Parts: sequence; structure tokens; C-alpha cells
Amino acid sequence: MFELLDRVAGVEPDRTGVAVHGGESSYGELRDDARRIAARLLADGVTRLAVVDHEAPVIVPLLAGASLVGVEVCQYPPAEPDEVRDLLARLDHDVLVTDRADLAGLAATTLSVADLTDHDLAPVDGPPPTPRPHLILTTGTTGAPRGVRHDWSRLLAGIERVRPAPEERWLLAFGLHQFAGMQVLLHTFAAGATLVAPAPRRPIEGLAAMRELGVTHASATPTYWRFLLAQARSDGLGLPPLRQVTLGGEAIPAPLLPELREAFPTAAVSQVYASSEFGSTGSMRDGRAGLSTDVLDRGDDAPVDMRIVDGELWIRSRTGMLGYHGEPPVDADGWRATGDLVEVEGDRILFKGRSSEVINVGGVKVHPLPIEERVGAVDGVDMARVYGRPNAMTGAVVALEVVAAPGVDHDALKQALRAACADLAPAARPRSIRFVDEIMTTGSKIVRRTQG
Amino acid sequence: MTTTPADVESTVKDFLTSIDKLPEGFTADTSLYADGAELDSLETAELSATLEDVLGSDPYSAGEMPETLAQIQAFYAAASA
Repeated sequence: MFELLDRVAGVEPDRTGVAVHGGESSYGELRDDARRIAARLLADGVTRLAVVDHEAPVIVPLLAGASLVGVEVCQYPPAEPDEVRDLLARLDHDVLVTDRADLAGLAATTLSVADLTDHDLAPVDGPPPTPRPHLILTTGTTGAPRGVRHDWSRLLAGIERVRPAPEERWLLAFGLHQFAGMQVLLHTFAAGATLVAPAPRRPIEGLAAMRELGVTHASATPTYWRFLLAQARSDGLGLPPLRQVTLGGEAIPAPLLPELREAFPTAAVSQVYASSEFGSTGSMRDGRAGLSTDVLDRGDDAPVDMRIVDGELWIRSRTGMLGYHGEPPVDADGWRATGDLVEVEGDRILFKGRSSEVINVGGVKVHPLPIEERVGAVDGVDMARVYGRPNAMTGAVVALEVVAAPGVDHDALKQALRAACADLAPAARPRSIRFVDEIMTTGSKIVRRTQG
Repeated sequence: MTTTPADVESTVKDFLTSIDKLPEGFTADTSLYADGAELDSLETAELSATLEDVLGSDPYSAGEMPETLAQIQAFYAAASA
């Protein structure tokens, strides 16, 4: 990670590395900040830390500085203090980097960003040690995220073939706590390009960044792209001539690819298939939905190989995770089920959904059971079932079926159910509430899988 | 059963009211997104589900991305033509 910044800063320190609406940071500035951060971490004997901050000009040098001295960083998602406290305990983090006042005192040691950069310690030069761990949380709205252990050497191996392209300006549409965000970051700096990082990272800010900050390349989920296109149509201000449009994170609705080609006629359209567990598998650049069947059965020498077992995609990856935090290492040569159900049509592997009960709402994974338990506690509810309902906009929405107690007013109960779920993450709130006479079961178990 | 423009209008207005996003002076040509009702992706997904529940089908599931009430009404008019 550090070496990506250092490589560019060594020849052109003033080249812009990160651009936000409030200004720019050069490769030289990012590298120098990273060296100062490394010095502070080394002096304080820090070996692992959590960070709650989402501004790229802060996160980029922190990641680079930590990688320079082998300190494992884990970026938490935007979270309330109770959630941060839980994560700190579950992931055994004693050191928290944050400027948020409401998180003070949660960790044994809390460091501000200024603590790391404003000091008189001699900056660290390197070379980076081995190993160089990095921890990425799995996504999860109502389920508990797991820490996925990576090493920078593996993460960097995935971008060895990226060619220099200093003129490119990549939009950061994902959070840097997400594996997809990390992929964009690494690709951008491997190319010596500029990371354009609006905040927050919603389509409306992404569209503004495209127009105002000269974005040329962008990677986002299909849902993000659909909304960005709708925003652009709505305000009538047009779209900039992107050169690259990349999709990933969820199945792609069939009409979206031609819409993107029409909206961005000068752009190459490609898709990526990756996860925090098995890492990146490369990209499909032909603009067609799904993966080429060429990815199957590549052989033992291939760093990434795939096969289909009973309609589910399995993968073997030597560039993926080392294992989960607190668990034994995984076998790099072992095969793992991805949970993605697929079908082969011609020369294409098409995604048909998830094998688990987890509901994928626009790329956010929602677990149905905690929601079911919550609504089941509402007065007037006899029984409830939460499941994924297919939806053209977000792939699925959380749907709720309720058997109401006799004599209960349905309108009033619906309001009470909405109120009971109002503090859930937006993706986890039921978007469809129906009253039924009985709940669908199989083998005396509630069916929670997404219903077709 | 024929879906009338009035059916669509009441369904959409009821939905926007239920989520406190019915703009003042809302008309058939008011944007449902930016500079209008300001629906986000999840709220649009909810509108899609609501239209399907109440009217039996919805334009989003048919691959369309209507931006106004008028465009939603046009979808149902075309479907029943």
C-alpha cells in the first residue's frame, strides 16, 4: 500500500492522489503523512487498531502508514457508539483512531488523527515488514460483521498488471471499509491515478463529483448506477463522458447494461466479481451480464479457479483472505462455496441469487431473523415472517408477512410495525407489509428465503 | 379490472404521504426524485412493491424507471390499452 504512494511521489510528488470537494492531496503529501503516522504507531508500540473515520484524505495515509510498519488496521463502518463498543470487544481492539467525541473512552486508547500526524518523531522510511496484515469487516446490517484477515502482499498481487494511467480519475462510490472500496483504491494508486472521493458516497454526490471533479472512471453497484442515471435524467444537466463504467456487488438487471452504454457512449463497460473472503477474481470487459465460462476449471496453477457444484458457484483463491479473525487460517488451496446460485447459458455464467436466507438489499446484506423477532414483539402480532421480496430497483427488499391477532385493526398495526422498525438501518426496514391468514412453512420451519 | 389514472394517483399520493414525502404542490409532472419528492433507492423500491400490491403490476418490475406520476399513469394506460 505505502509503496504505491511512494512510487508516484518519488517521481512526481505534486501529482494529485486524492480529490474531494474541499480540496486535493498530492501523492507527496499522502506519502509524507503516511511516514509520520508510521512513526507514531511504531513509537507507541501499536500493532492493531480500529478506525472510525471515512474521509479518504485521512484513511489513505493511515492505511499506507500502517502497512509500512506492519500494523493491522480495521476500518469500521459508520456506526453508533454501542455498535462501536461491540465491535471493539468482539475484534479485540484496544486502540481506536477517531475524531468523534461520542466515541471517546470506548477503547483503552483513543487517538485523534492529529495525534498521528502532528509530532516531532522522525518519519519512517521502510522497507515494509512481513507480514503486513489488514482486517476487513464483512458487510451485515442486522447480523454481526466478521473480521476477514488479509495481507497487503496478497491484496497488492491482484493489481500487479495495472498499467500506469495518471490521467485517470476514479470515483470512490464504495466505503473504504468495504472490500470493493479497497479494490478501487488499490487500482487507482497502482495506476498512479487520482481517487475522487465525495462524501457521503451516495449517487447524488457521485453525480456531482463526476461533473465537478472530472471523474473519468467509476465502479459502483447496479443499484447505484440506476439511481445515478435517474438523478441525471431528473435534473437534466447531462452526464460527463466517462471512459470506464464498472459494476459489481450484486446481480445486474438486464436493461441496465444497454442503458449504461447509451448514457456513457464513450465508456467501456465491465463488471467485477469479488468478495472480502475470496478477494478479486478479475473483471469481465465485454459488457455482457454474468461471467464467461472461461473462468471455470482453469487448473491448479491458476491463482483463482471456479467451478459449479449443484448450481452454486465455488471458488479457490490464493489471493483471498487468510482467514477470519479469531479462527484458524483457511487453506489457500481449498474450495469454498460462494453462496451464489448460478446457471450456465451458452458461454455465460448467470447469477440467479443467494443460497442463504440473507436478503441482499442493493448490495447490503440483511438477516431476517432479528427483524422477525422485533416485529413479533409488537402487540397484536400473532406470527410474522421476514423474507426477501424480489425488487427491480434493489434486487430485493425486506418483506414482512404478519398474522394479526383477532380483532386487531390492520392500519393501526401496520403503523406500529413501521414504528418498531424505524431505527433499523434503512435497508433492513420492511418495505412491504402484508397481512396473511397463515405463515409459509416447510418442515415446521418458517421459510425465509427470498420468494420468487 | 382497469387501472384508472385516479387509482394510480391515489396510490402514489398515499404512499408519499405515508413516508412524509408528498411535496407541496405535487402534480403529475413533479419529479419523484431530485428536486421533487426526493425518493431514494429504497423508497423507490417500496413504491414499486406498493404499486404491485395495490394495482397488480408496476413499471419498475417491467424494466422502466418512471420519473413522474404521469409516467407511471402512462405505464398502466399502455398496459390496459
